Amino acid sequence: MSGFEITRRTFVAALGGAVGGFALGVRLVPAAGEEADPKPIPSVFVHVGADGLVSIVCSRSEMGQGIRSSLPVVVAEELGASWNRVRVVQGDADVRYGDQNTDGSRSVRHLWMSMRVAGAGARSMLVAAAAARWGVPAARLVARDHQVLDPETGRSLSFGDLAVAAAALPVPSPESVVLRADAERTRVGTALPLIDGPAYVTGQAMFGADVRLPGMLTAVIARPPVVGGAVARLDDTATLKVPGVRRVVRMPALTFPVLFKPLGGVAVVADHTWAALRGRAALVIDWNHGPHAAYDSASYRDALTASVRAPGTVSRNTGDADRGLATAARVISAEYHVPHLSQSPMEPPAAVARVDAKRCEVWAPTQDPQGAQAEVAKALGLEPSQVTIHVTFLGGGFGRKSKPDFVVEAALLAREMGVPVRVQWTRDDDTRHGYYHSVATQRLDAGLDATGKVVAWRHRIASPSIGWTFDGTADRLDEGGLQQGVFDLPLAIPNVRVERCPAEAHVRIGWLRSVYNINHAFAVQCFIAEIAAATGRDPRDMLLEVLGPARILSPAEAGIEKNDNYGATLAEHPVDVGRLRRVVEDVTTRAGWDAARKAGRAVGLAAHRSFLTYVAVVAAVSQDGDRPRVDEVWITADPGPVVNLDRVRSQFEGAVIFGLSAALHGSITAKGGAIEQANFGDYPIVRMGEEPRKIHVEILNGHRVPGGVGEPGVPPVAPAIANALFALTGTRTRALPLLGAPATSA
Amino acid sequence: MTDPWPQYVLVALLAVGGGDLSGEPLRAAGSFAAIPDRQERSLALFAEASKVLLHPRCANCHPPDDRPRLGDRHLVHDPPAVRGPSNDGVPAMRCASCHQDRNLEHARVPGAPVWRLAPLEMAWLGRTPGQICAQIKDPARNGGRTLQQIWEHSALNELVAWGWKPGPGRTPAPGTQKEFGDLIRAWIDTGAACPPVTEATR
Amino acid sequence: MITLRVNGAEHSLDADPDMPLLWALRDLIGLTGTKYACGEALCGACTVHLDGEAVRACVVPLSRAAGKRITTIEGLSRNGDHPLQQAWVELAVPQCGFCQTGQIMSAAALLAANPTPSDEDIDESMCGNLCRCGTYPRIRAAIHRVAEGTKR
Repeated sequence: MSGFEITRRTFVAALGGAVGGFALGVRLVPAAGEEADPKPIPSVFVHVGADGLVSIVCSRSEMGQGIRSSLPVVVAEELGASWNRVRVVQGDADVRYGDQNTDGSRSVRHLWMSMRVAGAGARSMLVAAAAARWGVPAARLVARDHQVLDPETGRSLSFGDLAVAAAALPVPSPESVVLRADAERTRVGTALPLIDGPAYVTGQAMFGADVRLPGMLTAVIARPPVVGGAVARLDDTATLKVPGVRRVVRMPALTFPVLFKPLGGVAVVADHTWAALRGRAALVIDWNHGPHAAYDSASYRDALTASVRAPGTVSRNTGDADRGLATAARVISAEYHVPHLSQSPMEPPAAVARVDAKRCEVWAPTQDPQGAQAEVAKALGLEPSQVTIHVTFLGGGFGRKSKPDFVVEAALLAREMGVPVRVQWTRDDDTRHGYYHSVATQRLDAGLDATGKVVAWRHRIASPSIGWTFDGTADRLDEGGLQQGVFDLPLAIPNVRVERCPAEAHVRIGWLRSVYNINHAFAVQCFIAEIAAATGRDPRDMLLEVLGPARILSPAEAGIEKNDNYGATLAEHPVDVGRLRRVVEDVTTRAGWDAARKAGRAVGLAAHRSFLTYVAVVAAVSQDGDRPRVDEVWITADPGPVVNLDRVRSQFEGAVIFGLSAALHGSITAKGGAIEQANFGDYPIVRMGEEPRKIHVEILNGHRVPGGVGEPGVPPVAPAIANALFALTGTRTRALPLLGAPATSA
Repeated sequence: MTDPWPQYVLVALLAVGGGDLSGEPLRAAGSFAAIPDRQERSLALFAEASKVLLHPRCANCHPPDDRPRLGDRHLVHDPPAVRGPSNDGVPAMRCASCHQDRNLEHARVPGAPVWRLAPLEMAWLGRTPGQICAQIKDPARNGGRTLQQIWEHSALNELVAWGWKPGPGRTPAPGTQKEFGDLIRAWIDTGAACPPVTEATR
Repeated sequence: MITLRVNGAEHSLDADPDMPLLWALRDLIGLTGTKYACGEALCGACTVHLDGEAVRACVVPLSRAAGKRITTIEGLSRNGDHPLQQAWVELAVPQCGFCQTGQIMSAAALLAANPTPSDEDIDESMCGNLCRCGTYPRIRAAIHRVAEGTKR
């Protein structure tokens, strides 16, 4: 089991104005036998200034999940700081602050303990300084409200008074720091303020596109409509006549595998955005569309259907599902389809770069500063240490901004132009040139015995793999995709088989909030409800029966070799069926499930474990004129202990609405290799007035250590709504979006 | 709209001579002179004119309820704009919050001076030519207009004119505003006959 | 030259009269609180006030904006203390925050015309402002909170 190491840092200058005092970093230290991180780096960084100001580096990107209002509070609480004397400093992609990749719903679960150790370490140094000043034992002193007090004498000294003296003291070992007892921890776990609220509501919060540098130009890029396409012919005569346009620059053509490389195309660099946009509109380009020009979503869907009707690569296997199906009293089968989806953050990608011979400096709304740093360095032929990434606020990420292709574009153009360049993606660009959620068709066959109990279960999945984005060869979903909601799906069924069937990729596939969990949860949770309907069972009872009794699901029981378990050990985060059952029971109780069904209210249920958190959703729908309406949603989540209860609640509220967009509207399709959708008119997202009038969020804590929060709310939403729609209409829709793709208007 | 071709390619097509979409032709008013019976001629002129009245570019802003429509299939306007008490939207969602005095190609937003809905009493969508004819002639439902003023509105009004120049990607109303105006003029001159209210739309 | 009156200050701009107000605000004047998110008046992130009416700056040409009173989020209040801004902070409405300046400008226009809106009024006036993070329930609550304050 890894430990921590506390190191002294003297990087005062990096915090811009921090005064005197001392600074600590805390890093994870691998235990003997564990693989050592080749670049062990601090994971948290706290500075106490001589003026008393406590600066805490937030080493994760802020994209609405409230991380800046969460992790720093953990430090502040251990330290005993007053929150109004704390400032949160965003970490750069700097080796000092550790890897800052923000995805996978793992910021809190990875960092919360090192945050506590850092805060406790700083506290012990301040206390030691006070003890030395007063000549009393440190053990009797108390640190709270930004000061150290001696309860016996009533004397106190502020953190500011002690900081310089503390700076001279030895750094404590992590084993010696005493973490606060639970009774003393009154802030973490409660609803905490949104520290950036005032900045957001006044327009002062700086997002990627808001960065301004002297002499900066703005670029808008015409990218190939089909991934892997290239410019065949370019006529920029009209473009160069547009006032404000400085230059037209050819971007390097994309080579496979796509990785995080820019897509290529033609950049129009101008004095300001309007000139760049007009300039781009005046370009005349013939494209060579490349090898994926035949990608057509309608025929591709047929191919996926054919794929799941034949055996695939077995990845989860217990008993003999084929035999179980062949000998079953009854077989129920269904095929489900989820289209490509687009993350569509409200802020389209934008980045600013400045390059000279030796350095590149970037400002970008990136979820992965080190990833961006590495890609920019590679593209410019620099060392990563020569690249500085400033992380701005992100106007939404949802996975799109993990991929630094847009950052590399800015760096390349800045080098070409010799002045700072901002690359601005339009909404059309973001919709047409994304890293899409993976389209999937899934076939489920269940064999029932004479009593209606499921005794065989075969699940076939055809979905292009994110792996293709990285190696260009993957011809089907990889096992990593099954770690998300298939390998950790408890099934009290003796014969289970899961197979991965062929599916080629023809667009960039990336991760979208909760990733493959969306597809797997939609298929599995709808299917279980279908079995219930076919056998006259209550869907909640059916679900609990299929999940089986409370227990820990071992890899052996699941019929798999290994469960990567979102990077956590099974010891720390077992697949706890009891926690899954509990959220089902809680949400159905709160929703008045039995009474609702008896009264004829159309309700649907779904439950899913993802990112180590257990979530169940009940949706209630009704007919509103010619369309169904989702009136009310209950969501119960068990993410274990939380830091900022208000941000956690807001994440689950938001996940319901995000999931609702996918359930009702979202569909990205291709024709002739090019994406058909462009803007919110043809890729609609839920609007005010469409959201459920009441969203009831219940947060449970069924564990010792935190699970994920940002993503787990999403997967159960679409199937719960699909199941409710079935209850409403009696007709089962097995494809998203449930209301059909938006009708086009000429 | 689902359109796989990025705007800069579309512009190229337009520049090369694709142009705006063209509408159906409208029969010239003079060609109806061949109908000897004055009443029949009047009805025939109105029938031709009602191709314009019921065309999506016109009928979309003459809805029978509180929702403007858009597109050739009369879809409910997205974003879900509503009529409002003065036919020009509600706070923060006024028609003019988004629609300017001219079409904006860069934003794909149509526009014309004083963009707004026709009042409810002038609803045409889903109505028959006979019903519309009766509305147009009734001062209580036509904004207190004389037939001469009806002609002026049809032939000269800037918002009405938009129907024939709706911008790229939108099918214009049939013919031209002048031809439409001439049909209305001729219809008025032949006694402004109305088809029966119950006659079904073609 | 086009003169814009923004938040009480005059700016003389040598700019294309067809340029959308959004780009003049962000690129020429340097007020970045008004956001670009769609460019087609579909999302409301660019909402500003023009003579008190909420309009979408991504489509309003400078020729229309010239000479009129333009208010952006930066000018909505002196110290971020407009009742809506305060309610937004108290209820922790924002998640990523990107859409919120547009949301607040639309909500301000709504409350200026209708100080005690119903949920249906809120639906009709705010449905043009998109939020991908899903903060609609809190936006609604914040508008009601300010309206309650008005009632008392």
